[in-house]
Amino acid sequence: MVPNKFNKKILKRNLTAYAFCLPWFIGFICFTLFPIIFMFAVSLTNRKLNGKSSFVGFSNYAAMFQSPTFWNSLKITIFFTVIMMAVTTVWAVIMAMLLNHKQKLNGIFQFFYFIPSVVPTISLAYAFRTIFGKDAGLLNYVISMISGKNTSINWMYDPHTVYLVIFFITLFTYNTGQMMLVFRSSLNDVPRELYEACDMDGAGALRKFTMVTIPMISPIILFNSVTGCISALNGSFALLYPLTGENGDPNGMTQVLSLLIYKEAFSNMKVGYASALSVILFLIACLFGIIIFAFSKKTVYYEN
Amino acid sequence: MKKEKIFALVSFAALTGSMFSGCGSSSNGKTNSSSNAGGKVTIAVWNEPNTNEELNMYAQCEKKTGIDVEVTVIPESDYSSKLNQMVSTGDDSIDIYVVWENDIANFAHENGIVALDDYLSKSSIKTNDFIDAVEKLSSGLGGTYGLPWCAATELLYYNQDMFDAAGIEYPDNNWSYSDFKAAAEKLTKKASDGSTEIYGCTLPNTQTWWAGIGGAGDQVYDPSTGKLVIGDGAVSFVTDCLNMVKSGIMPAPSSDTADLFAAGKAAMSWQGSWNIGTYGSKLSFNWDIASIPTNKIKYNTLHTGFYTINAKSKNKDNAFKVIEYLMGEEGQTINSKASGNPSAIKSIADKGAWKVESATTVENWDAITDSLNAGVFGYTCLPSGVTNNAVSEFNSALLGQKTPQQAVENALKYANETIG
Repeated sequence: MVPNKFNKKILKRNLTAYAFCLPWFIGFICFTLFPIIFMFAVSLTNRKLNGKSSFVGFSNYAAMFQSPTFWNSLKITIFFTVIMMAVTTVWAVIMAMLLNHKQKLNGIFQFFYFIPSVVPTISLAYAFRTIFGKDAGLLNYVISMISGKNTSINWMYDPHTVYLVIFFITLFTYNTGQMMLVFRSSLNDVPRELYEACDMDGAGALRKFTMVTIPMISPIILFNSVTGCISALNGSFALLYPLTGENGDPNGMTQVLSLLIYKEAFSNMKVGYASALSVILFLIACLFGIIIFAFSKKTVYYEN
Repeated sequence: MKKEKIFALVSFAALTGSMFSGCGSSSNGKTNSSSNAGGKVTIAVWNEPNTNEELNMYAQCEKKTGIDVEVTVIPESDYSSKLNQMVSTGDDSIDIYVVWENDIANFAHENGIVALDDYLSKSSIKTNDFIDAVEKLSSGLGGTYGLPWCAATELLYYNQDMFDAAGIEYPDNNWSYSDFKAAAEKLTKKASDGSTEIYGCTLPNTQTWWAGIGGAGDQVYDPSTGKLVIGDGAVSFVTDCLNMVKSGIMPAPSSDTADLFAAGKAAMSWQGSWNIGTYGSKLSFNWDIASIPTNKIKYNTLHTGFYTINAKSKNKDNAFKVIEYLMGEEGQTINSKASGNPSAIKSIADKGAWKVESATTVENWDAITDSLNAGVFGYTCLPSGVTNNAVSEFNSALLGQKTPQQAVENALKYANETIG
């Protein structure tokens, strides 16, 4: 009798716990799992934005793999994700380390470094578009004033400068600012005694950074790399659309998959085809996650 | 334990309820009741109503019909896609859609909008008096599904002061394309270091690229197949633009958002007729308009939107009453005065209400009627993704990233991939 009563009690407690979890699961099923499954299903149709739809099997995928626009976009997406993730993570670490130095007015510096991150990405992008204009751009004007020569560099449309400009602008996005705060917090958690031991052994600043700081904050680097990667894959749309348009000018050099998905779904009204592209973007995000976690097994240090 | 269970149940109910609270039909919060005895009609448009009540056709419509007209403004960049989504979901919150040229056939085929023939048979709207291009566009739908709210054209805008300074005669409506190129070259002003201070002409915009290509002999849009048709004409026009960019007569494509013509940095510009109202008396120089210069043929693209009734509307009769006012002489006249766009009804357009009063330096108003007669519904009937992609390809050619031939081939290939 006793074990039965005991089992019943455990069951009740478990059910209570599940009841607490249930709202989240329902939310996950309705607003995450269902849209993902629906996206897969729609990718097998020729659904238009006005709702017209019929089953076409894998023909969207066949058309996609034959399209040079898709292959160009895929190449650009992978390039953008890797570089954006690296640039934003490295910059955030550098900024966090600079702010971690004990000095006066640190709070003010942190405020000024972080403030661009809270500006909406769209506004930020339009501001930079004005700065990097050719004939009416602020930067060219300043360079002309300083050099005394008429400068008209076509920053956003020259293949040699467009990536520099885009990656520079990513340094001011919310993602980078958020990373900086997380890194700063983790740097404060690195035990001081480890640096003291290094000092006693005569280690220099670079050695302390590579042998102590990096291993100790490696879990946070992993976290920021994953969020940075997802942000680069999905969030780059808000930055690139106002900067280079849905065609990823110049010459498709900035047409990441999220821009192409938007163009196909909302300009060409091909929701089925756009869903097939979204499936590919989803798989790329999964793949990046798997690679980062596989890589982290060898490189991330956990104290416990 | 009991408390935990109760708390879990209450939390579950509250969270689940809150999750679904936003999922109700959008029409739940809307009612057809109105303070006005005539009822209420909602209309979707992409441009804000005029702030001057005398020039606000919706406000005037309310006064005349006794029907409340609620205007829903959807940003132009999202306009077509939002309407498509509304049709797709059977949304009934909007009674009148102002539908663009590239959507009207799809909406009619999908039964998203209703045929207006029954209403028109009892109406005073002059459907036999539309400009020819509207007649052609509406044919083949199996009925009249939409009525054009206006007919906008594309024009050559020019800075009279710069023409005077260069000693060049003002353009007229018979100007040839070679006249235009020669004038653009003469009007270009270079600095001592060879850079351009004043451009002869601005770069064609997303609309007027097609005026140049159509003028160079390409069909642009084939209504029988719904496809983009470009070739030698496009190559020729892109090559001309490339040569003008190389010689500093035209600016290279860039992220600049400034209007170089309005800023006095370009002597000429090809733009839509709606800019007459925008410029008005605001420019710091004298300016006038002319027809787009004639290359192989006289060509420009007409722009409009069609008043249509949502098939799901619960206020169809009132919606048609509103359309009837807006398409009538008073509604069309107010629209012309406010926007500078002529009516698509010939007898109303002939009265010239579209001559924007604030554009005091404009004398060549005949350019509008001349352009209306030469205008066709061309690229606007194609998906915007296809035409924007083509413009991006042309810009790449101007930047030397590919040849004009390659740009045109790529644009055509993408169009065929997309349209099928």
